[in-house]
Amino acid sequence: MKRLVKGTVWGLVAVLVFSANAWSFGRKTVIKVGINAPITGDIPKVGEGTKYAAQMWLADIEKAGGIEVGGTKYPVELVIEDNESKAESAVKANTKMITEDEVLVIVGPQSSKQAVPAGDVANNYETPMITPWSTNPDSTKDRPYCFRGCFLDPFQGPVLADFITEEFGFTTAAVLYDVASDYPKGLAEFFREAWEKIHGPGSVVAFESFTTKDTDFSSQLSKINKSGAQVLFTPQYYNEVALIVQQAHELGWTGPIVGSDSWGSAETVALCGKDCYGLFFSTHYAAAGAQGATKEFIERYEKTYGYTPDDVAALTWDSLRLVQTAIENTGKITGKIKQDRKAVRDALARVKNFKGITGDMTFTEEGDPNKCAVIVRISDKGEYEFYKLVCPD
Amino acid sequence: MRNRTTTSAPAAGFRSRLRQFTASVPLIGWLLGIFGAVLAEYFLGDLVSYYLGLPKIPVLFGLLTVLKKPLLIPGILGYLVLVYAIPVVIIVRIMQKPANRLAEFLAGKRVTIAALVHLSLFYGALHLWADISDYRLLVLKLTMIAIMLTLSINVINGYMGEFSCSHPGFMALGAYTASTITLLLFANDKQFGPALLPEALGFYFFPLALVAGGIAAAVGALVIAIPSFRTRGDYLAIISLAFLFIVKSIIENLEFVGGPRGMSSQPDYANLPMVFTVMVLCIWIINNFVRSTMGKALNAVRDNELAADAMTVDTRRTKIITFLFGAFWAGVAGGLFAHVLRYVNPGSFGIQRLAEILAMVYFGGLNSVTGSIVGAVSINVLSEALRPLEIYKWIIIPLLLILVMLYRPTGLIAFTEFKPRELMRPKTTKGGE
Repeated sequence: MKRLVKGTVWGLVAVLVFSANAWSFGRKTVIKVGINAPITGDIPKVGEGTKYAAQMWLADIEKAGGIEVGGTKYPVELVIEDNESKAESAVKANTKMITEDEVLVIVGPQSSKQAVPAGDVANNYETPMITPWSTNPDSTKDRPYCFRGCFLDPFQGPVLADFITEEFGFTTAAVLYDVASDYPKGLAEFFREAWEKIHGPGSVVAFESFTTKDTDFSSQLSKINKSGAQVLFTPQYYNEVALIVQQAHELGWTGPIVGSDSWGSAETVALCGKDCYGLFFSTHYAAAGAQGATKEFIERYEKTYGYTPDDVAALTWDSLRLVQTAIENTGKITGKIKQDRKAVRDALARVKNFKGITGDMTFTEEGDPNKCAVIVRISDKGEYEFYKLVCPD
Repeated sequence: MRNRTTTSAPAAGFRSRLRQFTASVPLIGWLLGIFGAVLAEYFLGDLVSYYLGLPKIPVLFGLLTVLKKPLLIPGILGYLVLVYAIPVVIIVRIMQKPANRLAEFLAGKRVTIAALVHLSLFYGALHLWADISDYRLLVLKLTMIAIMLTLSINVINGYMGEFSCSHPGFMALGAYTASTITLLLFANDKQFGPALLPEALGFYFFPLALVAGGIAAAVGALVIAIPSFRTRGDYLAIISLAFLFIVKSIIENLEFVGGPRGMSSQPDYANLPMVFTVMVLCIWIINNFVRSTMGKALNAVRDNELAADAMTVDTRRTKIITFLFGAFWAGVAGGLFAHVLRYVNPGSFGIQRLAEILAMVYFGGLNSVTGSIVGAVSINVLSEALRPLEIYKWIIIPLLLILVMLYRPTGLIAFTEFKPRELMRPKTTKGGE
């Protein structure tokens, strides 16, 4: 027994000597930024882009010696949490970052199925959160602490309808979308609404659906072929885009196929090949022929990680820069986390004409940005070429 | 007994004394010790963690911190010893005799009363522990829900011996039914408009909503039970898998529950006491069910259906009731899940969820209530603790599963009975030796 007591005491002494506190006393004020990203799960590429953009941002900050607020430079720490592309995991990650790591602000989660429940957590704990990629209105609706970095589907749908009408002068359209996925379904409906507003009811001659992970679209595409549609709109993700486009061409579809920002991944062209050349889609930014800061970002990303960044990386970068601007604009970091979070939120809401690499941004009262959409044409070399800029009125 | 060689005599002596000591402490003594440790953390945790150079009180026993910052390992170990181990040892040592007397006194009473005393002590400890951080609270709630799910699938896959794959489907039915009820009646939301009943009543009606969710799941189970009467084994697995997809597709196409977009902002009714009470009820009722005549009949049907039939077991009735019973609890768990997250979407109830539930039940052990609890808790805590490892987590957990399947093919604690009275009995030092 005596030995046990002695052992415990010596053990504790050793612990005290070797603990981190023995070298650095006191707790410094560090600005912590949380990243909630799908690093494992269904969409790991999205998580990777998020992580890489965040690390690039951190490297910039470290080079500058921290974020300067009110004349003092504060060191910055990133807290990157994996949300496994699951709703409950995203909620856990947000709760952990807010209550345990005490982050000042959160960037992420990317997809709506995580951003909606995670945004609820952030709002309840009064922690500002920017979701770079989520397009579901619920992510920010009635949540003063939630913001987003991209435009919304109720804006994107009409943009595409107008663009097709002006560009080609078509009057009939077909839509093919995934009924089981939140984003394509919402966008397909907004597009139909906008199209029928211009060309009258019934002008969307085929409105065909399939379910996630389907790979054969021949029956839907045959129907679309027979419907007399002049253009096919398909707001799908990169893996499905390749299949749909190739199968459509095999079945004799000759008209243009138009997509949405979900096409924006580098994988689209890699999987689809020549079939996709010459097609159009709307997105947040165009990589080929970019200018200024956007070009700089793309070149740096390509050099560091070996591939062209997709829209997620660019939007994450913009969100982080927005966060940085907001923190700088607060004028003072008190070290009291509650107060600082509120100050950052207020500063975010006040941001006017932020110059991002995906366009200029000003937040509306809902926390959604007023920004322009880019129409991109896939060139004959498979690059995403800037074609046209469409801004909200 | 273990061999004792002369060379390791002092160590063996210490070990056997330790074993003797632990065997002499009744459950209530341990619970008192845990309560004391949690109390120590509640009042001294901040101070201790500050002097050990830790940024905060380590949640989840420092597992998360250790993986991110290995430099803090000595601090974490010191914290665990100071805050958990020492109070537990001291209290258990001091309280050994009084605890035994208390246990003896409780053993004379009815099991219900004894169990209530134990449970309230346990709940007290959990409440204080979860009070330190909301992250702990969330992990605790989700773990409790996982326990319910694992237990309810164990009834079907373990005790009945069928391979059912429709558990996420039952969960979805429960989650959507309970959410629809609470959102429609007690919440002002965009899905169903203003509340139909006063919001203050909501919390008291919440258990009813959960029961309704359970019943919806049971009705769903009836839908698969009828066509699959004549099938066993693989065929039932296929039919139940089909059911899972059907439920998911139906919800995705039902616009009034939000389609693929799901439903959000459920009222915040699923607090810790609520989840804990429902979980205890679930364990209690399922344990009684599997130890009843019904449970014995169930095992008979599993081992040999023809023989059981010959021994006057109504096999069809037994199977149906069990299936509905398991589905009911999955539905209740789903209802709680929806109100803990305050968001449901059909995507949450797919194959991935099925894999998780199956992993928990097979890891813990078939045909065993204790096994289910162990399986659910270990898989949940493990997957939370290994979170900083990102992709490697999905190598480590499956590897562990494979190892368990190799060395303990039926799971960690399989084919045991959970006997509350045995667990709570007093333990005198003389009795065992």
